[in-house]
Amino acid sequence: MKRIEEMSKKSKELIPPGLSFLADNINSKNNVLGESKATGAKWAKDLNIPKQGETIFFAGCGYQFTKKLESLMGLVRGMDKSAVGAELPMAFAGFQKKLGINVAGIYGKITARGGDAEAQPLVDAVNVLKALGVEFGYLGEDEPCCGGLLHYIGLEQDFAKNANQVYKNLKSRGVKRIIGIVPSCTYALRELIPPHVSGYDIQVKHFSEVVLEKMASREMRFPKEIKVAYHDPCQMARFLGLTDQPRQILKAIKGITLVEPEWTSKEWATCCGGGGGFEAVFPELSHVLAVNRAKELADTGAQVLVTHCPGCIMQLKGGLKDLGKEEVEVLDLAQVVAASIGV
Amino acid sequence: MSEFTDYKKEIMDAAHNERIRVALSRAIKSYRSNTNDALKKFPHTIKMAEEVREIKSKAVGEMERLAEQASQAIEANKGKAYIAKTAKDALDIVDKLVGQQKKLIVKGKSMTGEEVGLREHLEEHGHDVYETDLGEFIIQKLGSRPMHILSPAIHVPKEDVAQLFSKITGKELSTDISTLVATARNLLREKYFQADIGMSGANVVAADTGTLFIIENEGNIRLATGAPPVHIALIGMEKLVPALGDAYKVAEVTWRYANYTVPSYVSLVSGPSKTGDIEKVTTYGAHGPKEFHVIFMDAGRTTLAKDPILRQALFCLRCGGCLYECPVFAVTAGHFGDKYFTGIGAVWAALLSDDPEKGAALAYTCLTCGRCKVRCPMKIDCASMVVELRRQLVDSKA
Repeated sequence: MKRIEEMSKKSKELIPPGLSFLADNINSKNNVLGESKATGAKWAKDLNIPKQGETIFFAGCGYQFTKKLESLMGLVRGMDKSAVGAELPMAFAGFQKKLGINVAGIYGKITARGGDAEAQPLVDAVNVLKALGVEFGYLGEDEPCCGGLLHYIGLEQDFAKNANQVYKNLKSRGVKRIIGIVPSCTYALRELIPPHVSGYDIQVKHFSEVVLEKMASREMRFPKEIKVAYHDPCQMARFLGLTDQPRQILKAIKGITLVEPEWTSKEWATCCGGGGGFEAVFPELSHVLAVNRAKELADTGAQVLVTHCPGCIMQLKGGLKDLGKEEVEVLDLAQVVAASIGV
Repeated sequence: MSEFTDYKKEIMDAAHNERIRVALSRAIKSYRSNTNDALKKFPHTIKMAEEVREIKSKAVGEMERLAEQASQAIEANKGKAYIAKTAKDALDIVDKLVGQQKKLIVKGKSMTGEEVGLREHLEEHGHDVYETDLGEFIIQKLGSRPMHILSPAIHVPKEDVAQLFSKITGKELSTDISTLVATARNLLREKYFQADIGMSGANVVAADTGTLFIIENEGNIRLATGAPPVHIALIGMEKLVPALGDAYKVAEVTWRYANYTVPSYVSLVSGPSKTGDIEKVTTYGAHGPKEFHVIFMDAGRTTLAKDPILRQALFCLRCGGCLYECPVFAVTAGHFGDKYFTGIGAVWAALLSDDPEKGAALAYTCLTCGRCKVRCPMKIDCASMVVELRRQLVDSKA
């Protein structure tokens, strides 16, 4: 116990390097990857969503920066496998110093190659909500980062500070209700932020809950007959307790046959290996876990894996690639619903 | 970061070890199906587990009082009881009881023993120590360390065991498992009766009667604690519950989730062996041990019990069910661990073994995916504990 107190006085020395990089981005740039917020919000520019509203759609960092995250993780994994990488997991500063490589420069090039933020699940989610008659706004570049990762890293004071800023920001724009899509942002907004903010009165719902409420009379048919396995993201299934909602939606779609892996579904679903910043500290191990999970799901014979988390999508794609099962597609639930109602 | 680097290399080597993965995937499959069947056959277990959580939650808050009460009960039963504040105190007590002269000691598997490095300590002091649990015996002879709390040799395939036993016996042994088991039986058989001292832990202790519950399948602990003239038990204070009735419940839930369904043996030990068969004169040391010593060890537990979130770690029954649900453990086995494994192992390493670096390395290896909680009969929220531990380790003081 004494040693813990001593160590914590030296604060942050025990945080693995990959995580301090991500935490610094949230604290300084207000998103996980340290991108400019406007870059992230580009996906919405042609969708004519009001900038404000009592109900807002909360896009989160994950989907907006998927491309960049994919490229970055590819790079980091390569580093992790190499001898140097084993010693320096995503330790950007140290890595730079040791090899004389400008990692920030490489990273910048990758971001440029990624081009405009392609965030199809977000576009589809917005179109689905519109089609179902939901009225909402989107804050665009003014959308705050939920800061969830700060909490998971252990930087609770930073998280609390961020939580208050988030709340102030949202209240100043008259936000009363949030429709979240990224499971971890939704959980942070619904469960993690409130204890740090006095009088928190914003109602938070997840996209799948809203769709389920509104879809009743809607005819949904997927363009072709497919066998689908649903992957429950940890935060959806075990934190938000949303295991039935996505399944009810999928079952209501004609053309889709839902299959489940043996044992590992719903609250027993296996983590894709990308949880809580794990992929930043253990990129290679994270990939091993992604392959394991992809195999559990692919063994069902499904042609499409549907999930609902930008991290899981990235992990499962990587896993399938390694298994040589690239013919199995990975789609977000929002994409499937959009295709099924024809928006 | 050097400790972290070494640790990371260790778990990556494990993750690339195909044998660990194969052994674990078989174990996971069989655990899930056995436990599923056991819970179907004895469906009351689930409700009972909720009761046990209540019992443990309350007991953990009053460990010191329960240790006093249990000590008095054991003394009344003509045993000896000791309360050790630290791991070092516990080992000092053991040293005094064992004495300076070289002793032959037979040992049952004990996580608390593992926590304080009991076997290594005794060996360093020149004693001849035999682990009698088959898995632990294999680990001891291999000079390895346990990779699972209940199946310490979970990562060792039969080919390796055959090779090891061939070396020990000087005979060429096949990989036939029953031959290997019989070999271990023969190697250990006489030791129980030659031993000066038998050592064990306990799964749960009833404070009112001073009764130790020891659950097993092999029968080695019965022999190790029954045949030698002295029995010493080293027990973590979190194993104490108020009454005998509570202890039965804890024991049943433990074995059901520990993949035992119904264990072959449960030993209830409350005092030394005695008889009054000749003229009703009570005489100690009939067929069993003449001396019975119980050490209740604190070693950080009472401090941990005051932490509103991390205290859950003390509810752990050591059934090992969570390990089968951990995606990281599935590819690394006990390499993702210290004395105890996975996320909950991080709490034990940081707070009880007072090793914050190791605790941090383990805490950041936890996915915080939360599947262990779904399995845990005590519903220990490992993800929350790990996040809280990270906070205690890295959040700057206000």
